[in-house]
Amino acid sequence: MLISLQGIRREYHVGGEIVAALAGVDLAIDRGEFVAIVGQSGSGKSTLMNVLGCLDTPTAGSYVLNGKDVARMSDDELADVRNREIGFIFQAFQLLPRETALANVELPLVYRGLPAKERRARALEALEKVHLTQRLHHKPTELSGGQRQRVAIARALAAKPSLLLADEPTGNLDSATGAEIIRLFEALHAEGNTIILVTHEPKLAARCPRAVRITDGKIVDDGPGAEVAFRDQATGQLRDEAHS
Amino acid sequence: MSLRVDVVEGFSIALKSLRAHRLRTVLTTVGVGIGVATLLAILGITQGLDTSFEKQLASLGSSSVYVSRMPWVQLGNWWEFRNRKLITLEQLEAVRAQCTLCATVVPLLDDDVDVSFMGRELVGIDLTATSAEWPAVSTFEIDRGRFLGQADDDNRRLVVVLGADVAQTLFPDSDPVGQSVLVGKRPYTVIGTLAPKGKILDSSQDLRVVVPFSTFRAYAPGRRSIGIGILVSDAGALDAAEDQLVGILRRARQTPPDKPDDFAINRPDQVASTYQQLTGALYAVALGIGFITLLVGGIGIMNIMLVSVRERTREIGIRRALGARKRTIVVQFMLEATVVSALGGAFGTAFGLFGAKLVSWVSPLAATVKPGTIVFGVGFAALVGLLFGIWPAARAANLDPVEALRNE
Ligand SMILES: Nc1ncnc2c1ncn2[C@@H]1O[C@H](COP(=O)(O)OP(=O)(O)O)[C@@H](O)[C@H]1O
Ligand SMILES: [Mg+2]
Repeated sequence: MLISLQGIRREYHVGGEIVAALAGVDLAIDRGEFVAIVGQSGSGKSTLMNVLGCLDTPTAGSYVLNGKDVARMSDDELADVRNREIGFIFQAFQLLPRETALANVELPLVYRGLPAKERRARALEALEKVHLTQRLHHKPTELSGGQRQRVAIARALAAKPSLLLADEPTGNLDSATGAEIIRLFEALHAEGNTIILVTHEPKLAARCPRAVRITDGKIVDDGPGAEVAFRDQATGQLRDEAHS
Repeated sequence: MSLRVDVVEGFSIALKSLRAHRLRTVLTTVGVGIGVATLLAILGITQGLDTSFEKQLASLGSSSVYVSRMPWVQLGNWWEFRNRKLITLEQLEAVRAQCTLCATVVPLLDDDVDVSFMGRELVGIDLTATSAEWPAVSTFEIDRGRFLGQADDDNRRLVVVLGADVAQTLFPDSDPVGQSVLVGKRPYTVIGTLAPKGKILDSSQDLRVVVPFSTFRAYAPGRRSIGIGILVSDAGALDAAEDQLVGILRRARQTPPDKPDDFAINRPDQVASTYQQLTGALYAVALGIGFITLLVGGIGIMNIMLVSVRERTREIGIRRALGARKRTIVVQFMLEATVVSALGGAFGTAFGLFGAKLVSWVSPLAATVKPGTIVFGVGFAALVGLLFGIWPAARAANLDPVEALRNE
């Protein structure tokens, strides 16, 4: 078991009231899985991703990653976990604008303390996987959206993490480019990477072996992607779109 | 990640960020630069003054003491000084007879005179009337000819010894010894010249003539207070000699026991400290101004760093998400502040030294610059940056990564 969440809550204080972005999440994910997380805007998907990525600390509940209890970790240990175990891919790419593609991909390796040569080799390897070796010395502003997201994926891959976390990675892309990115994820999954993908597009979720639906901070459905993506929550029946 | 890697990486990020914001960097640099320049110019001038003054005072003789009616540095009641009794030859004889720690005792009279030779004239130069042992007390050396002898004094001869500048001006390319020069209205025969000695606070020591004491008394009558120049037998005995002199002079002058000394014992070694007391307060004020300027520069840096942290909130979020520890972020921003500040320090050092040199060109003040001053300038500026960078850096490191990533 790579990930085990139990009773995870994440609460915010908003104007004297307590808002639960996550209201008791139980979830287990194995090594090598490719899981889609679906749900409406504001349902808690990003919050869940941030908790999974050790970027955010839950208010309650237990999170065991790779057999280690995340709650007991110090701030430095969490930083090291993010550096080694987690590869983030964001909707807004989150590249450093003044650095080249290569430098962006090298960044997590810098924080790992690798010597320059090894950094360079690993970054090149990762950029090869996303088919971007022609654009090594371009800055993000000189790249298209799809290329930027591929740089971000290479950066996530460079550290060879246990877990890739992608929060709506196609949200800022047109559908053709988005489809390309999803094919890239499928290829990475085929190579053995564990991937969690947040999306609100049922069609993308349907392509994943497993999908989880989250509503109001709770997991309400879990199963094969094709079913969860199109299951009507009120009736439990698959909607027509599934067959079209 | 090791601290070394933090520093190396932080340094390159700092340089990139400074290059990306050139105008801002320059403006921030100016603030610190002005502070450092002010400080260094002040320090440079101070050091220059002190070293040149010490050198000059040493030329008065480090084991010499000069008795006079008025102190060299007059602090206090001018009227009280005016009303003092004259110092007489009898008092000098008392010193000569009773002072066991005094190796040499000479009388001294000063005046301003005009000296001329064959149409060349020097106006208002120092005349010293004294006796044969004067060179030992004043540490002047003879260049050509001889100094005054006992016989010159006894016979009130019209003979003169020329200071180096006087000899040089009146006799640019001939030997003055044996020539006759006009000192005041009378012709004096030159018997020797003094070796050059330099300046004390911009007044030349070498623009002087020396004549026999009794000759001067005879031709310039009137009641004058004389000075007494004394060479103490040993530099270590200066304090003891001073005590002895006070006793002898109070007795000879019949100073009432309840009254303070009505004469001054001037010691070149103590004049330096009096002088430093006087100027010290001035320097303290000037240094204070320098520090305040630097403080303002430091606050400028803090302000710019806070802006920088705000602008780069998202970057901080990205770095944190990729595994940067808090310490890494702290080091990055503190280095940035330190580098800007040190840069300002380097500019400021250059300007400060230039300013000090400028002062020494246009004024009699001599500015010396010790190499340590430069290190101090840059180092101190870097320290200011480090200190004023702490708070912005801590703010950057303590940002919530999730919030930071959401920042536009
Ligand atoms: N910093 C915050 N302060 C207050 N409420 C927040 C904060 N972050 C998220 N929320 C709330 O938590 C809920 C879940 O947000 P999020 O996880 O971003 O949803 P999703 O990614 O599914 O659109 C939303 O109702 C949102 O308003
Ligand atoms: Mg979201």
